[in-house]
Amino acid sequence: MGATWKELTKGLWREIPPFRLVLGLCPTLAVTKTADNGLGMGLAVIFVLTLSNLAVSALRRLIPAKVRIACFIVIAATLVVGVELLMQAFAYPLYQRLGIFVPLIVVNCIILGRAEAFASRNPVHLSVADGLGMGLGFTLSLTLLGALREVLGYGTVFGLCLFGPGFKPFSFMIEAPGAFVCLGLVLAGMNALTNWQRKRQGLAAVEGPGHDCKSCGLCAADKK
Amino acid sequence: MREAARMIIVLSLIAGLSGLTLASLRQATGPLIEEQVLTYVQGPSLGQIFADTENNAVRDRKTFRPPGADRELTVFPARRQGRLVGVSFETSAKGYGGEIGVMVGFTMPEGKLAGIAITTMKETPGVGSRVAKHGFTTQFRGHGLDNLDLRSKGGDIDAVSGATISSTAATAAVKQAAQDFKAIREELAKAWPES
Repeated sequence: MGATWKELTKGLWREIPPFRLVLGLCPTLAVTKTADNGLGMGLAVIFVLTLSNLAVSALRRLIPAKVRIACFIVIAATLVVGVELLMQAFAYPLYQRLGIFVPLIVVNCIILGRAEAFASRNPVHLSVADGLGMGLGFTLSLTLLGALREVLGYGTVFGLCLFGPGFKPFSFMIEAPGAFVCLGLVLAGMNALTNWQRKRQGLAAVEGPGHDCKSCGLCAADKK
Repeated sequence: MREAARMIIVLSLIAGLSGLTLASLRQATGPLIEEQVLTYVQGPSLGQIFADTENNAVRDRKTFRPPGADRELTVFPARRQGRLVGVSFETSAKGYGGEIGVMVGFTMPEGKLAGIAITTMKETPGVGSRVAKHGFTTQFRGHGLDNLDLRSKGGDIDAVSGATISSTAATAAVKQAAQDFKAIREELAKAWPES
């Protein structure tokens, strides 16, 4: 139970995507114009990520190593098309707003990243916990980013008006550059918070990437 | 050799199963998706053509086949006080950036154009996309079924300046709709009896 809980919660702060892993930035930057777009995108990712981790983990002994990436992509693509169909059938306005970014979940690095780095090496229950946690973290991040941009760019949150009619919207924030600025500020804030915590514990401040690189493995070649 | 065979079998199995799952999911969600598309894509344009109708046009829709044509038309009725006052259906023509879908409404029983609304298009924003704007679409309101051509072709529709291709396409779609309407007018009059 302890291990499952640990895998579930690591996606919520310690390795929260996309802020800590900085993977899956394409939907992060593109759809977070409003909080409910971010939430909708996050929910779709939770669904795909959890089920893809489940399927990959269940089949991990069956899939030959040489064609594993092809297998992971087929599984992810199937789930994404499934989500797309379900979204069209039950939440068409959301589908219209997210547009091309729903099918693009297939190539979201988080899906393949978790399949390769975690689900293909761990038992089913841990993989599901990992997928669920990462998905929840992703949803939280996107909703937060969307809410920030929506407050500044439209003066609303989830469509609710926050300020009076005198509010002049800062429409830069809902354009593409605003997404980068907002993401950068959130990352900087998170790093500052982490270093402040470490300082209180008497540890040295972290420089460079704050997360442990195990879950990525991309730069393993450099370390040799 | 055994390894290669295993790779082929596993990958084919996974791909096959995925295909099967998606095919059945598609079949299951097909009618629901059609309903949603009609509500959110065609629905709003219906409201632009006939205001204050008393029926749900999407739910009351019926399909017709114009004689001699190999396509089907989904016709949306508009009712007031239980009587059929108009019908709308969608036609399309090739514009500058792809198909332009036009919802065309006709009044019943007079048989004049009630108005048009653009449902889908990929025309250049700010140029061709102006065919969806009021200045262009309002020309069709109350227009007869003939003479539906741009002025340059002898009709009496003003093109949007700088957007001849988009205007031609939208007008061609309306003209096509008028022809279809003439062909199935008798059937349409009987299709939604007074209630």
